[in-house]
Amino acid sequence: MNKIVLGLILGGILGILDGLTSWFTPAVRSGIVGIVIGSTFKGIIAGILIGVFARKVNSLALGIVFGLAVGAFLAWIIAFIQHGYYFQIMLPGAMVGLIVGYATQKYGAASQPLRA
Amino acid sequence: MEIKPQGDAFPLTRHSVVAAAQGRDPQERVRALDAITNAYWRPVYKYARMRWRIEREDAEDFTQDFFSRLLEKDFLAAYDPAKGKLRTFLRTCIDRLFLNQTRDARRQKRGNAAAHVSLNFEEAEHELAASVQAESPEKYFEKEWIRTLFALAVERLRAQCQAAGKSTQFTLFERYDLNDAETRLSYAALAQEFNIALTDVTNYLAFARREFRLCVLEQLRDMTGGEEEFQREAQSILGVDAK
Amino acid sequence: MKFLPDQVIARLQTEMQTPDLSGTRYRALKLIGRGGMGAVWLAEDSILHRTVALKVLSAESSSAGLAARLMQEAIILARLEHPGIVPVHDAGTLPDGRIFYGMKYVEGQTLDRYIEPLSLRQRLQLLQRIAEPLAFAHSRGIIHRDLKPGNVMVGAFGEVLIMDWGLAKIMAATSEDHARVQAEEDSASQHSPGKPLKEESSIAGATVHGTVLGTPGYMAPEQERGDVKLIDHRTDVFGLGSILKYMMRDDRSDAHSELAPRPLRAICNKAMAAEMSARYASVQDMAADIGKYLDDMPVSAYRENIIERTVRLVNRNRVAVVLVLAYLLMRTLFILFSRH
Repeated sequence: MNKIVLGLILGGILGILDGLTSWFTPAVRSGIVGIVIGSTFKGIIAGILIGVFARKVNSLALGIVFGLAVGAFLAWIIAFIQHGYYFQIMLPGAMVGLIVGYATQKYGAASQPLRA
Repeated sequence: MEIKPQGDAFPLTRHSVVAAAQGRDPQERVRALDAITNAYWRPVYKYARMRWRIEREDAEDFTQDFFSRLLEKDFLAAYDPAKGKLRTFLRTCIDRLFLNQTRDARRQKRGNAAAHVSLNFEEAEHELAASVQAESPEKYFEKEWIRTLFALAVERLRAQCQAAGKSTQFTLFERYDLNDAETRLSYAALAQEFNIALTDVTNYLAFARREFRLCVLEQLRDMTGGEEEFQREAQSILGVDAK
Repeated sequence: MKFLPDQVIARLQTEMQTPDLSGTRYRALKLIGRGGMGAVWLAEDSILHRTVALKVLSAESSSAGLAARLMQEAIILARLEHPGIVPVHDAGTLPDGRIFYGMKYVEGQTLDRYIEPLSLRQRLQLLQRIAEPLAFAHSRGIIHRDLKPGNVMVGAFGEVLIMDWGLAKIMAATSEDHARVQAEEDSASQHSPGKPLKEESSIAGATVHGTVLGTPGYMAPEQERGDVKLIDHRTDVFGLGSILKYMMRDDRSDAHSELAPRPLRAICNKAMAAEMSARYASVQDMAADIGKYLDDMPVSAYRENIIERTVRLVNRNRVAVVLVLAYLLMRTLFILFSRH
């Protein structure tokens, strides 16, 4: 499995999980379907971006930092749209980015060299 | 009677001097026993003098007696090379004989032990005075055994070099390697003394040492009970463990 | 008869130990070791101005059989050009008739000393490096037959060298190999005087059935039995296993430590199986299993249960597991917090 696909899948799974846990917040429970879709989409986008970065840059530290930043940024966008719950959205989002950043650096097949 | 050069004193099949001494051929037996006597009488004499502090005359009698019995009573019939070294066996026989004689208070004056071997006790007495005491009688016997081994090897080498017309080589070896002086002569000094080239000194000494090594090993074969003992003794005497 | 004082005798003994190198390019410096067959001397090469090690047949071991064996050892070493096998430079007969060969002088430590301060992981990495020259030798049809910690050296630069191929055997796989082996044996015999001994000899392919060759404690069962026809590269697998056992051993007892992990003990047991067919097929297979163990992967010699497998996977992916647990913990705290 290459790093981009790994990032996509992992980001998507963690995005779904993220979205589902919003059921425990009664205030937003009614809009859970939208939350889950949005969270999944956010996770997939983050995963792809982090996976592309991992293909280009082979550094665990940088991969983690990049994942953290992408995850936090995308989560901020969501929180901004919602005008609230910044902490509750950005922290898990940043953590998802961190996990995907670590995983894409550590696992997944690196890009194949061009053959002559 | 002069001791015959070792080169032709024991021209046996080289399997073992003990095997020849234990064999049926009477001539071979006598020659083998002569070889053993020649190799061991000095250590026996000195050992007896050192160990039991007996007078010189008594030690001479005892030594003669021992080797006479070696021939007459066939001590060697009881020796098994697989059980131990020849010199250990002979030393045990010496100890036993001495104790028996002391207990029975009889020590006979016997004639010359082996008719073909001349026992120069005078010389042995001088050597005894010159030698250093070892920590135990067993060690002393071993030390004297090694000394006799090398001394007989020197005589072999002398005889071989004389026969081959290489007396200069032997004389150089004697002057350089057998010299016990604090400082030895240099090769250059030897070259000058013998009026030969320096490289000749190197080559002659190398030749003599090479031949001497072979003489020691040949002599060792005559003083050990079999091949295995020979290998062990050679390693012990010529190896780093030699004391 | 000339009386020889003690100091003269001591000097003569020393001279007799020293090999006669007159007329050769070497000058003896000091004795560095003695074995059953001969002695190894540190010598100076007067042409290349370097120190070398000379293995010289001892005078008392001057039988034709042993002379041929020493020459065979030199020929085998010359065939095995590998960084992990000590290279041989020269071979021949000394002026006193003794066979010798010259090789690189290795400054370093034997394995038993070298591994003392090392961790188990470092020891295993070293073991993998020992397998490399062995595998090379096997690919050339040569078996060592005397593997033990004392026959492995670690040089000054950390290089691992397998020493003392005195008991090595050439395996002939094809009829061409048979011819080559025979030619090499003939060559070895030509360099040694006289005919081969009737008693035991380890000349390749000529070891008499029933002969026991090797070191007690490190010999494979087929070696202990003297079953020379059975001996092949798996005998060296056993030898490598015995080195692994040595590396894992509890310093207080001879058995390998009960604290050693089970997969590692299983690797050791497989390598040292009494039945040859139960051992690893090659030293490379054994080294590969060691590599898997070092990488926290499952090894072929050991079947994990579900708990062991889980523990290994968790160990292998420790950081990821911690991150996921941290994420789940954070999520749980959020849920609990939002309820209140």
